Amino acid sequence: MFPVINWSLVSLEVLMSIILVLLVAVDIALPKNTDKDWIGIFSFIGLAGLIIFWLTQGSLNGVTFSGMYVMDSLAWFFKGFFLVAMVFVFAMTQEFFKSLGERRNEFYLLLWLALIGMCLIASSADFLLMFIAIEILTISLYVMTAYLKSDRLSIEAGMKYLILGALASGFFLYGISFLYGAAHSTHFDVIQSYCQTHGITPITVFATVLIFAAVGFKIAAVPFHMWVADVYQGAPTPVTALLSVGSKAAGFIVLIRLFFGVFGAWHVEWSLVLAVLSAITMTYGNLVAMCQTNIKRLLGYSSISHAGYLLMGAAAGTALGAAGINFYLLGYLFTNLAAFLVIIVFSIAAKSDEIADYAGLSQRSSLLACAMLLALVSLAGMPPLAGFFGKFTLLMAVIKSGYVWLALIAGVNIVISTYYYLVVAKRIFVEKPHSTTPVAISAGMQLLLVLAIVGIVVVGTFQGPFLDAAMAAVNGMYLAHP
Amino acid sequence: MFTPNLSWILLLPLVGLAFVCMLPADKTSLIRRISIISVLVPFILSVWVYVAYDHVAGGFQFVQNVPWVVPFGISYHLGVDGINSLMLLLLGAVSLAAVLVSVSIKERIKEYYVLLLITVIGTYGAFLSLDIFFFYFFHEVAAVPVFLMIAIWGSERREFAAMKLTLFLVAGASLALIGLLALYLSTGLQTFDLVQIQQQLANHPLPLDVQNWVFLLIVVGFGITLTLWPFYTWAPVGYAEAPTAISMLHAGVLKKMGAYAIIRFAIQLMPQAAHTWMPIIAALAIMNIVYCGLVALTQRDLKYILGYSSCSHMGYILLGLACFNTIGLNGVVYLMFAHGIMAALAFALTGFVADQTKTRNLNELGGLLKCMPFIGTCFMMAAFASAGVPGFANFVAEVLVLLGAWDQYRWLTVLAIFGLVITAIYLLKAIRLGFQGPLGPRFAGLTDARTMAAKFPYILLLALLILVGCLPSVILTHIGSSTAAIVESIR
Repeated sequence: MFPVINWSLVSLEVLMSIILVLLVAVDIALPKNTDKDWIGIFSFIGLAGLIIFWLTQGSLNGVTFSGMYVMDSLAWFFKGFFLVAMVFVFAMTQEFFKSLGERRNEFYLLLWLALIGMCLIASSADFLLMFIAIEILTISLYVMTAYLKSDRLSIEAGMKYLILGALASGFFLYGISFLYGAAHSTHFDVIQSYCQTHGITPITVFATVLIFAAVGFKIAAVPFHMWVADVYQGAPTPVTALLSVGSKAAGFIVLIRLFFGVFGAWHVEWSLVLAVLSAITMTYGNLVAMCQTNIKRLLGYSSISHAGYLLMGAAAGTALGAAGINFYLLGYLFTNLAAFLVIIVFSIAAKSDEIADYAGLSQRSSLLACAMLLALVSLAGMPPLAGFFGKFTLLMAVIKSGYVWLALIAGVNIVISTYYYLVVAKRIFVEKPHSTTPVAISAGMQLLLVLAIVGIVVVGTFQGPFLDAAMAAVNGMYLAHP
Repeated sequence: MFTPNLSWILLLPLVGLAFVCMLPADKTSLIRRISIISVLVPFILSVWVYVAYDHVAGGFQFVQNVPWVVPFGISYHLGVDGINSLMLLLLGAVSLAAVLVSVSIKERIKEYYVLLLITVIGTYGAFLSLDIFFFYFFHEVAAVPVFLMIAIWGSERREFAAMKLTLFLVAGASLALIGLLALYLSTGLQTFDLVQIQQQLANHPLPLDVQNWVFLLIVVGFGITLTLWPFYTWAPVGYAEAPTAISMLHAGVLKKMGAYAIIRFAIQLMPQAAHTWMPIIAALAIMNIVYCGLVALTQRDLKYILGYSSCSHMGYILLGLACFNTIGLNGVVYLMFAHGIMAALAFALTGFVADQTKTRNLNELGGLLKCMPFIGTCFMMAAFASAGVPGFANFVAEVLVLLGAWDQYRWLTVLAIFGLVITAIYLLKAIRLGFQGPLGPRFAGLTDARTMAAKFPYILLLALLILVGCLPSVILTHIGSSTAAIVESIR
């Protein structure tokens, strides 16, 4: 019998797919030599419509497609997150390809595909769907990473990402197969009840380790971080932004779903492993970030260290920890996007991503300098900016779970990271500029920069509603571990 | 009957800050004027708060409480008692003087005042907050503006100094944050509200082992801000390289946030642990007094002398904190005020001298009293105040601290008194080398602070020093009920 499908739950992804197909059609129908960026314009209209539609979906809750697809508070929260992130990434793409010109339209289509993949990850309630969703995201990222086909760094980045990504996918599938052997299902609810009734065995240890390795690749946790610096540096900057925000958040959804929900009963066994990995990840990322000279590589290593901070929430293993992850990512969204907006605008003007070239930026464009400063300070975790309250929540979660040593290591890391963020800030504000020509910023970029700044400050100062949202996302989660 | 609204102290300078941000950078005189108003108004409000505070009734007054982050029990909770209303007055006076002496800044004026105002607002917020979260929140707001101000407008080794100062302070703040979070979690109240936590812990103190490590984290964390020996090394270099206004604010007021936090969050909330740890802190305090004093003796740079001197004086504050009696705690709070005013005055004068002479090296200076009689006289008075000459506020404060410490730490007190002698030596030496003797030919054409406007910041600070030095009751009656309440709760 054909299963009954509740289409209203899936409507967001369905709409996205329709938009994608329509855009493909428009792309084919458009004359080749048109200057107008129709696909970009339609994409913004589509995203705006989807955000409005997303707002109406807040109360949806249910499972469909024979239990493979779930729409719950966590999925809803992150779909909104991805839509907002995508608005920024599309605008960055538009700006970025102004200087490159050709093959822009296909890039937009790949971004749409990545968006669909991320939304499906958020809604997966079955390992198979989760695998497919991750692949949709990752494969579009492979292509986009290597998109600048005349640029050696971009090709190298794509290659590296492809090989390690394929390896991670292999791990994931292999882990699923062992888990299937143990629990006889790929459904999350079946596996969860298996976990609750069975202790962890060598087979399931092996399975969960393999699955964690794949997630670790997505979130860039040590020791699965090898790709990060080269890929961040070589990929077109909008892709780097997407990797650092969207792809990382997608990884953390998987982590929350699996380690707070499905494997929740085994958290006692996992907790210490996650805590140690968290400590190693943040320390490694911060130490290596100190000696970077390229801003994209610096943010790459900084993104590793932030994966470490975020893993604190996973190590805590409580609803507070998960809410902390959600809040942190929300702050990280605005913070990192602000930084990448500055990088894009600056690299178009100065043709460089070297930190040395940022010298004296404050005298060339106060908006860029201000946005970068706020982003860096927020990444360092200082009030009144978004990054502070995220770290505050996560520290609270780990101390509550008894990991005071982890909190202390995080404290040391905050000091290390403050150093290298402030070194960049110092270049921007203190050193003499190489050239005094003002950096031109298009109106769209100005708007987005201001939006990102407002986001950083508002999330950091009026934390209440955002924390409520982050907590609601966890509390209403499907299969939440009691 | 009007009562002061504490939020105005935060909001009005914030409005001023917004105006400064929106003005074009070349409207420098307008920016300066708005900045002066933005610190003058909260100063006046602080005076009003100080006068209107009913010290007979005691307790927290003019309280405002708005829930902010409900799940964590964070609230925007403002209120003053005798101690923090005095700190508001200190900050008001020092920030006004700091903005007034900033006329010597000639480049990147808009950025300068934006950062300066953020620093001042953050510090006001910290002293006004009765919520542990917001105290921390506001106290950290100043970190990055201070970094940038030192790095941009400082003297030769400014970048090194800015980074060192900021990293030390961030490290201290991180430790303190972990301690405060552990405190929050172990009360089990789900609130950061200081008043509620105080009531709870007064009746149900935390287990001693928890108290011991949480106390240590908080005291070492905020101790770094307070230049607790051996974590003081950031201060002399930081103050020396910073622009005058930041030296004044930081040495005068910002580091007092550390002492304030130790009183409020560590000693009062965890008295048992305080009794365990504070004798050790008292011994470190003597290291502050004697060691930093001896280092100050060897310095030739006027600002380094003041920087080490400032670390040395923090020893008296720490020693007083270890006394657990009313007279000692009164001395601590008194000294926080007196040293704040004195340090701000000394740094302001040194900044003036350095701006005129282009050097701070005592071997090159000399005879400045001849060409700058007003500045030189003020400096001598500040030095006398610092050395504990009667008639100035510091004398009263230090006597109170030493009296408080006498019963419990007799030998340490003797050493602390010895520290006053060291202070007198290096300050008198500075006066002799810098301001007396023959005037160097380089300095013949230098001018004094001539107009009333130029003299005003120094007169303001000096007047406060002498006023509270001659009339100690202005402060002692004001803070008496608040310090007595704290001592009561830690007995």
